[in-house]
Order: sequence, then structure tokens, then C-alpha cells
Amino acid sequence: MKKIHIIAILAILVAAVVLISASGDVSTYATFDAATESGSRVKISGELVKSKKIVYNPSKDPNYFSFFIEDSDGVSRQVVLDKAKPQDFEMSESIVVTGSMKEDIFYADDILLKCPSKYKNEEISIRNSG
Amino acid sequence: MTEIQYVGEQLLPGQIGHFFIILSFCAAFFTSLAYYFAAKNEESSDFKSWRSLGRYGFIVHGISTFLVIGLIFYIMVNHMYEYRYAWEHVSDDLDLKYILSAFWEGQEGSLLLWMFWHVILGFVAIRICNKWEAPVLSVVALVQLIMGVMLLGVHVELGSYAYKFGSNPFVLLRDTMDIPLFQNAEYLSLVTGEGLNPLLQNIWNTIHPPIIFLGFASLTLPFAYAVAALWNGKHKECMNEVLKWSLFSGGILGSGILMGSAWAYVALSFGGYWAWDPVENASLVPWLMLIGGLHTNYIARATSRSVGSTYLFYIFAFVLILYSTFLTRSGVLGDTSAHAFTEMGLEWQLVGLVMSFLILGLYSYFRNRSSLPKHEKEESIYSREFWMFIGSLVLLFSTVLISGATSLPVFNSIVSYFNPDFVGRVINDPVPHYNKYQLWIGVFISFLSGFALFMRYRAKDSQYFSRAKFWRHFAIATVGGLLLTAWFNYFYDSYSFEYNILMFATGFSVVACIDYMWSVLRWNFKLGSAAVSHFGFSVMIMGSLITGLNQHHISTNQFIFKDILSEEDAKKYILLIEGRPMFMNDYWVTYESDTLQGFTRRYEVSFRTDRESEKPDFTLYPDIQYNKGFTKIAALNPSTKMFWNKDIFADIVALHPSLQDAEFAKEMEDTMKFVTYDLEVGKTLELDDYSIEYIGLSKVPSHPEYIASEASLGLEAKLKVTEKLRDTTHTINPALGLKGQLIYTFPIKSNDLESVFKIEETFFDKIYTAENELVYENFKIKEGQSFSHEGYTYKLLAFDKNPEHPEYTAEENDISIGAMIEVTGPSFNTTVQPIFLIRNNQPLSIKEYVLEKGLHVRFTKIDPQTGDFHFKVAIDKELKNTKTLPLKLAEGVDRTDYIVFRARVFPAINLFWIGSLTMLFGLFMALYQRNREKK
Repeated sequence: MKKIHIIAILAILVAAVVLISASGDVSTYATFDAATESGSRVKISGELVKSKKIVYNPSKDPNYFSFFIEDSDGVSRQVVLDKAKPQDFEMSESIVVTGSMKEDIFYADDILLKCPSKYKNEEISIRNSG
Repeated sequence: MTEIQYVGEQLLPGQIGHFFIILSFCAAFFTSLAYYFAAKNEESSDFKSWRSLGRYGFIVHGISTFLVIGLIFYIMVNHMYEYRYAWEHVSDDLDLKYILSAFWEGQEGSLLLWMFWHVILGFVAIRICNKWEAPVLSVVALVQLIMGVMLLGVHVELGSYAYKFGSNPFVLLRDTMDIPLFQNAEYLSLVTGEGLNPLLQNIWNTIHPPIIFLGFASLTLPFAYAVAALWNGKHKECMNEVLKWSLFSGGILGSGILMGSAWAYVALSFGGYWAWDPVENASLVPWLMLIGGLHTNYIARATSRSVGSTYLFYIFAFVLILYSTFLTRSGVLGDTSAHAFTEMGLEWQLVGLVMSFLILGLYSYFRNRSSLPKHEKEESIYSREFWMFIGSLVLLFSTVLISGATSLPVFNSIVSYFNPDFVGRVINDPVPHYNKYQLWIGVFISFLSGFALFMRYRAKDSQYFSRAKFWRHFAIATVGGLLLTAWFNYFYDSYSFEYNILMFATGFSVVACIDYMWSVLRWNFKLGSAAVSHFGFSVMIMGSLITGLNQHHISTNQFIFKDILSEEDAKKYILLIEGRPMFMNDYWVTYESDTLQGFTRRYEVSFRTDRESEKPDFTLYPDIQYNKGFTKIAALNPSTKMFWNKDIFADIVALHPSLQDAEFAKEMEDTMKFVTYDLEVGKTLELDDYSIEYIGLSKVPSHPEYIASEASLGLEAKLKVTEKLRDTTHTINPALGLKGQLIYTFPIKSNDLESVFKIEETFFDKIYTAENELVYENFKIKEGQSFSHEGYTYKLLAFDKNPEHPEYTAEENDISIGAMIEVTGPSFNTTVQPIFLIRNNQPLSIKEYVLEKGLHVRFTKIDPQTGDFHFKVAIDKELKNTKTLPLKLAEGVDRTDYIVFRARVFPAINLFWIGSLTMLFGLFMALYQRNREKK
């Protein structure tokens, strides 16, 4: 057997091991119910519930930001993020939060906003003085 | 519907532009074909004429491309908003220095930047490629042809099936939107441009894109050489020729990536220099692939082994850069990336672009595989080529892992296409995921880049290279690596054994590179490009290891409630109140002040190790940028203080909502609840949190927004407010002012008291009698004389040619005289100074008002002939009540004088920058050396 073949077999073995172990890092977007059940760290994608309270009061606690999102099953829960409120939060169309469920609150430490309209503008601003 | 005749549109530049797009496209087709025939007929007599045809074709293509770019600049500089591209990327107020940024903000512009570099590189190739000109340029022109499709903007209809090829940058705004505005023939005079995203208005966005796109474009040349050599079979020649292009490409693309990470680190709030973001990965992966190819290229040059692998590496490097374009421009990445993209709606054309070159490359390889050099004997495991090849394989493995994870969204879209019920997969925590695997890549590459230096191609022994010597150097590097690992553990936290292994590997490599330079090369840098770039690589990995593991927030509030959140997470952000120092990890940090310049508010945050010291140790200046209407914050920019062994990086995360959003500020003002209190002079009003004492009135408001002028009148209440809890006193001076016929309120907001104080407007009329209600009596006297009125004596003492008066501000050509008049009454004596003023040939008089007694004194005329001075005086019918002040007070108003602040330390980050720069320098050294060899 040539050395190159040994290397190839080794590479395939390593690749297999990596693939199996990496599959643990990958999951689907969870729902609140699934997160409650498993109790583990998950990503949830949902829409901001605009009728519920959005709380960020830096003078009280700059590391506490709370809001409600509705997941793909239509369940809405409070999300508490230990960060400052991101810019353009209200404009976001969908929100992805990473964290875990404790009782009825989802504690997140990471947030990603999707604002498709951010750099796309289909409205024309009219000059003030023509 | 009748055709509307639009006013003011200039359609000619767009028509010319579109013509040149098509010409450039056709010329690329022609060039590719002509050069193809030239390459095919290399031995025949037709070669020269085919080649000239190709050259002419490429010149036409190049000039057309330049003209297209020039015309886009023309419509942008002249703000021709009839064109969508100009409307989207420039605005009237956009500074011209950002015109380049605005040009490549759009997809069409950045694509043209890429094609621009292809043209430039193509011209260089025509000059220096000699025999390789024809086949290489044929491939370059083919690339230009397929990229050019994306700019065509041509609609093709086949029966009911319509398809649009490309997006023409000269498309008219009114053709892209169907809105009533375009019913107006004069719409153009109403339209204003959208302008450039404020985040992109900085110097980085002017210099980074040209370099990164030159890097992208430069990958085309190794690809072209690979395809050409596979067909013409001149493998040995190719391995010699292509090397300089690959070295150039490695250096430039590497610089572009590094510059991007510097931009992210210094100017953006991404909070680091590398985040494994798909966009970053998309340019890193082709670079790694290219570096793999570069190493097999060296093997092939020295031993004629690994030629086929080199071709495959170069082919994949190019295909992967196209794939990265697909990832970043098609919108497929969706919510996995922090970068924002505009979609061009050309997803399938991008797929076509990637697939056509993947197929071309692989077909060329497999079709001609048999012509590759063959070797019966295996390489020795003591040979350099063996371990270099292993190194390239490790790099390949790294690219597979990174692109696999980055491509998860692509995988999701493909599966969803066949199975609509499929739920997309995501990586839970991307950064730890990538780090976990790339750490081992780093370990392997570091070891290899260290000890492979001491090996010889074909394992030949020589003065410096023998097995015994190899093991001696290996031992030196091992000891060095162990010492560096010990040092690392002494100064920094290493957390776990993997990190110690990586530290050892990089230390091993650093020592091996130095040892090699010293004992083998004797510091002859002409031969040292490999040692220099390997040294740089290892230092870079070492730096990122130390920084990555030991970066921490220094913005810590020791008193925070920590029951739910983990400790590290709980202390990221801190509230800094203006002027109040806060202690965090060795520093007293104070938010000193802020200043507004244009649309940017710059904050001064000082750091002191000794709280009492006058001069801070250093000061950081993070800033925020507002949008055009001042209604929202567009960007929060960090500020970094660099030390030799660490950086301190700070940014503002949030402000009070009223400072972030104009709408919110208005809402907040509207919802304030004011309660009116009648304050008596000398008495104290007791409230829950503080007490208010009314000291008295002043006619000269000190409120910063109050501006005194001849036509204005002011009134200020002096209040002394004592906080009960802290026993501190504040002087609060709310004011009223009259300008023209309107009374303005000048409230005082106290952040410490969380209250807003203002005087009720009606109070103004109670203090000041309207001029038309006064009954003036006229007097004329000479200097030194006096007159009496209602029991008061007025004596004219002297004159002042430079009079001062709270309501008078001197202007040029003013003639003004103040009369000093002593007023004496029952147990009352004061001096007033009314002013007589001639401004613009108009006589004016500025009144003096004695508030306590209700006296109004005016100086109205000077009679030069008789030497008389005319005055008129009046007295209020009843004395004004200055003893009671109607104060309006809103309590419980949020304080707004704070910033939510984050400060982080990046230890040893300079190792990362120095290492990566050294590595790139090594690549350019190799390029220089390669070019000298030939001569």
C-alpha cells in the first residue's frame, strides 16, 4: 500500500469523525415548547409581538432587555436578553435568539435581527424645496 | 394612455452606457474566440493574425468597460436621479470623497470593479505572458464574457417564458417602480437621491473594496494557467510561469482579507477582527485553497510531482471565489450573516457562473489527466515534498470544513426545493463550532510549517540537511515551544489542554523558523521567504489564541444582580453618568462630555488609574452617527487605545431612548406631567425628594438656549434646590423670553433631580407691562441736569460710548450711546443706562426697566444744535408682584445624561497584526525572489 493511500484512509476517517461530531453543533430552529421540554440551549426564530411590552431601561439595568416573540407554532413567550437593545429593533421582520428556557421565560445571550428593508427602499423621498 | 414627455431627463449617457456594455460583452466573446484559435494554431502561420485579433478584441473590451465605469461615475457625480443607480447610491449632500464608496455600494458597481481588475490584469498578461498569452487571455475573456451577462439587462422571451439577463446599471428609476409620482412630467425636480449608507461613509470603504476585488480578480490567472496547461500539456513551463501570479494573488487577497478584519475591528462594532461570518469565510476559503496550491506548485517546480493537485487547487480557488460571490449576492445566506446585502434577483445566473467554470475546470482536468507527469517511486517521508503535500491536504481539509458549515443555508435551500416540508438546519453557536475544528488545523499547519523547513526536496543530504541534523533542530524547536507554552501559562489563562497544544505548536514553529534563518540561511533574507511567512503565520495564530482566550470586558459593575446570568455575561455593559467616575478593573472611567459635529456626536470617556489625578491616563472617543434627518442613530463607532501589549476597545451600546429616536423624544415630552406650585420668596417648598427655595428674579436669563437681542426681553427665576438624600444643592434657573410677539419657555431639566422646571408663561405678562399700556412722559435735559417724575428724580450723570446692556449686542456701523442716569426715590437709589442707538439710519432706543419699582426709562433723541438730550419715562400703575412665582414642575423624568458603555481588553492583539503582516510580507518576498530568478 502506498503512503498516499494510508493518508487517504486517514483523511476519510478523520472526516467521518468530524462530520459525526459536528452534527451535534447543528440543529433546526426550535420552538418554545421544544425548548421547555429539552431545557437545552437552542436557537429560536420568531416574530416580534408588537402589542406586548418592550422593556429596555438602561438607567435601571443596561444588561436587561425584554420583549415577546412568537415562534413558528404561534406560541409567544417573553425573551430576556442580557444585552443592550439593538438598533432598529422595532423595524426587524424576524428575530433569531439563542439561549434556553427557564420556567416561562427564554433567556437569550445572542440575537440576530433580520431587517430586509434596511438597505432597500422602495419609497422615494421628495425634496422639501423643489 | 399617452406617452408622458418627462422634463429634464438626460437619456443619452444611459444609452451610450448600455451600448458599451453590449460592446464590451461582444468584444469579450470575440477576444475569447480569437485567442482560442491562436492557442490552437500556435505552431501554424495563422497564429500571429489570430493573436492580433485577440489583442484588438481585448483592447476594445477593456476600453468599453472603462467607458461604462466612467459613464456611471458621470451620472453619479451629476446627480442624475433619472437613473436608478445614481438615485440609489448618491444624494445631493453626499461628499464627493465618498463617490468611490457609492460606486461599489451597488452590486453592478462592485461587479464592474472586479471586471476592471480583470481588464488591468489582462493587459499586464498581454505584456508579460509571452507564449502563454493566447490560452490565458482566452480564459480571462471567457470569464469577462460570463460576468458580463450579469450587466446586460436584456429580456429574452420564448413564447410565454420571459427571462431577464443581467441588471443594467443604466436602468431608469421610473422603469423600476410603478408609482403615481411618474405620472408627473416634472417628477425629476421632486426626486432626491437615497444616498450612501452612513456605515459605509468612511475611508475603509474607499480602500478595502479595490484591494479585495483585485484579490478576487487575481485568482483568475492561476485558473487560466491551469486550464491552459491542461490542454496544451506544457506542465513544467506552466509550474514556473503561474507561480508569480499565485504569489501575487495570495499576497493581495490576503491583504484584502486582513484589511477587512482591521476594518471590522477598528471602525465597526462587530467586537473583534474575525467572527467566522459567512462573508469573511467566503474570501478566506479561496485564499486557503490558493495557499494549498502555492505549496504544491513549489513541489511541482522542484520535483514535478503534485502537478495535477496544483491545477485542482487553482481551479477550486477560482470556483470558490465565484461561489463566494454567489453566497454573498444571492441572499441565500439570509439570517446567518451580520452583513447586509442587496439582492440583484440574479440567483440563477450566479449559479450559472459558478457551474460553468466548475465544469470547465473539472472537464479540463479529467479529460487531460493522462498527460500529467507520472512517478513510479514514492516520495520519502524524509522529503520536504511529502510534508508540504500533507500541509496542503490539511489546508484543503480546513476549506472543506469551513465551506461546509458556511454552506448550510445552501444545503437547506436545495433540500427545501425537493422537500417543501424540510425544516432548515442552523449551527447553534457558530464561533465555537469553527474554532473547535480550526484549532486542530492550526496545530497541524504550525508543526508542519516549522519542521518542513529543515527538510530537503527528494530528501537529499547536504551540508545543512541530514537526518541527524533534522532531529537536532526538531529538539531545539520542541524545547523552544515548551518554554513559550510555559510563558503563555504564566501570563495568560490557557483554560484547557487543546489550547496548550496549539500554543506549543505555534511556539515550536516560531522557534524552528528563527533557528532555520539563523543556522541554515545565516540571515540571508533573499532565500528566507518561506521562513518569514511561516514565522508570520505562527505568530498570527499565537496572537489570535492569546487574544481570543484572554479578551475580557473591563466594563464591570460589581454590584449587579447575578442570579440568572452567568458572570461573564452579566457584566458586559455599564451605565456611565456624565461627570461621575466609575471604577472598573483598575480604572476610574468617566464620561466627561460630548460634542456634536455635523451628524456625529463624539463622546469623551477618560480612564484614570488614580482617581484624583488631573490628567487621565488616556481618553477614548467613541461616537455615534445620526441619520440625515437626525431622527435615528445610523451607526455607533468604537474607539480603541493601543498599547504595546494590549488594546482597550470601547464603544457605546445605547443612549437614553430620547437621544436615539426623535419620535420617542417627542413622545416623552408630550407625556410629562407638570404640576404648578406658587413659590414665595424666602419660603421653601418641601417635596418628597428635595426642597425648592425661590431666591428671586433676574432680567438676564443664563439659560444656554436664550439669546438676547434688541427685540427680546428675558426673565429668569433663581431657585435653590436641595436634595434631601444626598444633601446637595443645585441652582436651577428656568427662564421665559419674549421674541417679537411670542413668549418662549426655557425649561431646565435636571438629570440628578430627574425633574423638569419651567415658569408658567402667563407670569411674563404679570412682570412686564405691554409697551402700549404705558403712559410715557417726555423730558429734555442737558448733561448734569435732572428731572422729576412721579416722586422719582432722574439725574443725567454722564455718557458711555461703548454701552453694555443685556438686550444690546453691538453690530458694525452702529452708533450707540448709553446715558448713565441716577434714579433717586423714597429710600431708593440706583443707576440705569438706557441706550440711544442709530442702526441703518434708524434711531432706536433700548429701554431700562427697574423691576422693583416698575420704572421704564428710554433715551430717545439727541439734539446736537441745542445740546439737549431727550428721555421718556413711565411708571407701572401698580407694583408688580415678584414675590410669588408660578413654577411648573414635572417629577420622575428619566435622566438622559448617560451612555451605556462597553470596554474590552484585547491582550497581545499586536501579535496577531504583526504575524499576519509578516506572513503577507513573506509572500511578497517570494514574489520578488521569483521575479529575480528569471533574469
